[in-house]
Amino acid sequence: MEAGTFSGAQVRTLGERFAAALGRFNEAPFVVRAGVGIALLDLVLVLADRRPDSVFEWLLLAAIIAASTAATVPLARRPAAVAAVVLVNILAILILFHGLHDVSQRGLNGLSLGAIYALGAVGLTLVYGILKLVNFAHGDFLTFGAYMAYLVNVTWDLPLVFAIAFAIAATALLGIGFEKTMWAPMRKRGAGMLQLLLMALGLAFVIRYSIQFIWGTELRQLDVNNTSSVEFLDLRIGRTQLTVIVVGFAALLATGLMLRLTLLGKRMRALSDDIDLAETSGINTSRVILYTWLFAAGLAGLAGVFAGAITQLQPELGFELLLPIFAAVVLGGIGNAFGALAAGIVLGVVIEMSTFIVAPGLKLAIGFLILIVVLIIRPQGIFGQARTV
Amino acid sequence: MTDPTQIFQLALTFEAFTDIQFWTSVGIIAGIFVIFATGLQLNVGFTGIQNFGQVGFMAIGAYTMAILTAESGWNFWLSLPVAIAAAIAFGLIIGLPSLRLRADYFAIVTIAAAEAIRIVALNARDLTNGPQGVFGFADSWNSVSDSIEEFIVDLGWTDVPSQFPLFLVTWGLAIGLMFAFSRMTRTPWGRVLRAVREDEDAARALGKNAFSYKLQSLALAATTGAIAGFLFALNLKFVVPDEFQPLVTFTGYAVLILGGLANYWGVALGSIVLWSVLEGLRFLELPLSETKIAALRFMILGFVLIGLMAFRPQGFFGNRKEMVLGD
Amino acid sequence: MTDAAAAAADATAASPKGRSLFEATEIHKQFGGIQAVRGATMEVEEGSITALIGPNGAGKTTFFNLITGFYRPDRGKAVFDGREIQSRPPYVIARMGMVRTFQITKALAAMPVIDNMMLAAPDQPGERFTNIVFRPLGWRKREAEVHEQAIELLDVFNLAKLAEEYAGTLSGGQRKLLELARALMAQPRFLLLDEPMAGINPTLGRRLLDHMQRLRSEDGVTFLFIEHDMEVVMNHSDRVIVMAEGQVIADGEPHEVRSDKAVIDAYLGGGGGTATGAGAS
Repeated sequence: MEAGTFSGAQVRTLGERFAAALGRFNEAPFVVRAGVGIALLDLVLVLADRRPDSVFEWLLLAAIIAASTAATVPLARRPAAVAAVVLVNILAILILFHGLHDVSQRGLNGLSLGAIYALGAVGLTLVYGILKLVNFAHGDFLTFGAYMAYLVNVTWDLPLVFAIAFAIAATALLGIGFEKTMWAPMRKRGAGMLQLLLMALGLAFVIRYSIQFIWGTELRQLDVNNTSSVEFLDLRIGRTQLTVIVVGFAALLATGLMLRLTLLGKRMRALSDDIDLAETSGINTSRVILYTWLFAAGLAGLAGVFAGAITQLQPELGFELLLPIFAAVVLGGIGNAFGALAAGIVLGVVIEMSTFIVAPGLKLAIGFLILIVVLIIRPQGIFGQARTV
Repeated sequence: MTDPTQIFQLALTFEAFTDIQFWTSVGIIAGIFVIFATGLQLNVGFTGIQNFGQVGFMAIGAYTMAILTAESGWNFWLSLPVAIAAAIAFGLIIGLPSLRLRADYFAIVTIAAAEAIRIVALNARDLTNGPQGVFGFADSWNSVSDSIEEFIVDLGWTDVPSQFPLFLVTWGLAIGLMFAFSRMTRTPWGRVLRAVREDEDAARALGKNAFSYKLQSLALAATTGAIAGFLFALNLKFVVPDEFQPLVTFTGYAVLILGGLANYWGVALGSIVLWSVLEGLRFLELPLSETKIAALRFMILGFVLIGLMAFRPQGFFGNRKEMVLGD
Repeated sequence: MTDAAAAAADATAASPKGRSLFEATEIHKQFGGIQAVRGATMEVEEGSITALIGPNGAGKTTFFNLITGFYRPDRGKAVFDGREIQSRPPYVIARMGMVRTFQITKALAAMPVIDNMMLAAPDQPGERFTNIVFRPLGWRKREAEVHEQAIELLDVFNLAKLAEEYAGTLSGGQRKLLELARALMAQPRFLLLDEPMAGINPTLGRRLLDHMQRLRSEDGVTFLFIEHDMEVVMNHSDRVIVMAEGQVIADGEPHEVRSDKAVIDAYLGGGGGTATGAGAS
């Protein structure tokens, strides 16, 4: 046997050839890559939607592509800014084809969904640092929150405000309870990632099907006014949805401020980013962990109530939301609370916008497609940091 | 998940447990899950990739067979290779961009991909008939089933349970696949897979194209998923998107863990035990509604998973030393 | 001795000393805001034993990662045996004959020692899926060969009796030996060792060095190793290359380098590690 021979037929499989071409593309200057990417994206959008009617529209399209590409030139090292440019680009095209009013309307609808995603994603990403895994049971925290609100609002016939407070508190307690009984002991034993993941899965089943056991599978409603709507600026939005947007964003703002400005918030972020580093720098991790669960579960409960309010309650509620929430977490970079927040809102809006192109039933599938495409371009997510060997 | 018309014939008592019809139904679904989990076993137990989208491959297998047979008039045996090819193609499309991602991102992407398949199936009414699903492909299977039944009757056993031919085919395939896969892992190829599981960078530093091996592993999982889907469709006699939820993948993991990762025969035992319990619960005389019993079944599944992970992560037959869970 | 190695040994003997096997030119790599490697340039002669030293944080392991394909350099070129390798994936570079070990050993813990070894052997038809399906008997012969080679090599390192044990049960020193033995199974022409002596007792270390010398003289294997143990560096290497703060600051014979002012400054001024004793990790 010859030692270390390198056969010229090394690049033999199609996959390897493709990877090689991709490699060459990756070495082109940033502007070229950005330009090609944007042009491709816009062409796909346009073809999926409708072809431009006139030369004027074609020219505008070309102008938008050029302007977006130019805008990315000074932003080579700022992936978040590039993502923002791409978003503006997409909005510009949609406005070109559908007019500002329609786009704004859907954007507004998307904001309520986005708020829910963001509330779920912030909690999930904070928990990641503690558990070192994406918590499959998080979605069912949302469901739990929704049903707790139902209990107070419908069964006990109390005003919605109490229901929301109770839901947040109950879910927060649930989160802390599981931390003490399950996660802390497993961490002590040095459980592996797959082990914890499957445990979270089991927990998700227990929560979800306990809810189904008690409340059954029939659809239930919170006692909210789902028919009346509010109009401003020639845009219409359901009353409940507006409440979700306002209260949701307020909660997100408060959370953001807490995370950014308070000592606890900084510690929570540090933990979420790198728990071992946080521990060695002397932070009382068990205390911070409890607070993190408190916030994460509480936010999840709130998100669940909102989701239940604008749609209906059923045991699968949280799990159906979990995947887009996962997507927001990944896009925002795991462990990055602000990234998750931004990604959640953006994802909600973009998913809603995708209804211009595809049937409403498929909009979640578009969300997943976005996730995959972004990860192809940037495996660490938009705000995430590259891992080194 | 078993054929509803069969259950209707059984009394809701413990008598069910002595009924061969019950065991045949359990056997079929257990066998399908053995095939399903065999691919997962290769992925998780031997290659170290966390494929949470296995149900997507099952859906592709089931729908391809159903559509080709019912709507294009294909012979359903011929549709099997096409179903497998379609699943492998999907596996490559998903695997190529995502296998280089870190393990947790890969898990999320695979769940998302499988859900995307389900969502598409739910909405592409022209192709898949949306929520109503595809049916009518059972006829060609029925003739095969009947001839197998005749063969058995000729051998002397007259009181053949219905669906018994499917039971035979399912377990024939299951045993064949388990045998094939366990042989495959005991080759130099299998050795590279294990190395990739243990430490990808070490494998690369020794000249192994880790990415290619991960892709191969995923393609093989797609194959078993498609075969499981094929049999699943034959068992159910109709194919609807609702049957292909992530829950199926999670149940597959439960089977896998019960039997112990990195042990193929354990998977068979795990599947039989799990499905006997799950299906058996349907027939317990409990003063509870149908929904509540269903909920109870899955709660038990959840507790089983939690219990296993907490107290016996290696399942029945897992090899402590080769344990992928909990180190 | 293998054919190619014999050819290489002949080449070293016949041609004037200094046939360059490996060249790195102006390798740069930045992580976030930090320049880990800035303009590293060096050349390694075929059949030589070269030490790569420097204070902690000098970028030595990063450099290894860059030239073996684990990281992509931002700028610069690396050429092995006449072929450019800076943008090739690690497995291709390894197959070309340039094999590396890791500073923190990567023993495949849940696999037996013998499997660890057999994994590394090149040209195994049994590793291709099409072969195991369509030619189930065709690969067994090579497998038996590889098994024999593996046991022989394990014997050299006194690990043969542990062949069936799981690699995870080995001690730290044994794992280092396994890592080296495994790398040798890959029949490398150029072996890059990252701190091969760390954690090994002196007797074993002596044995390792003797084996390295033998491999160099009998099989023409070229060595580049990162080391902190100055005794080893000064007495057992032909050339010493010194890195500090991402750059190559000295390059020559051991005694030249030892008295080079820039080198002394780097060790005294910079972080961790001394020019005389064992360095910190």
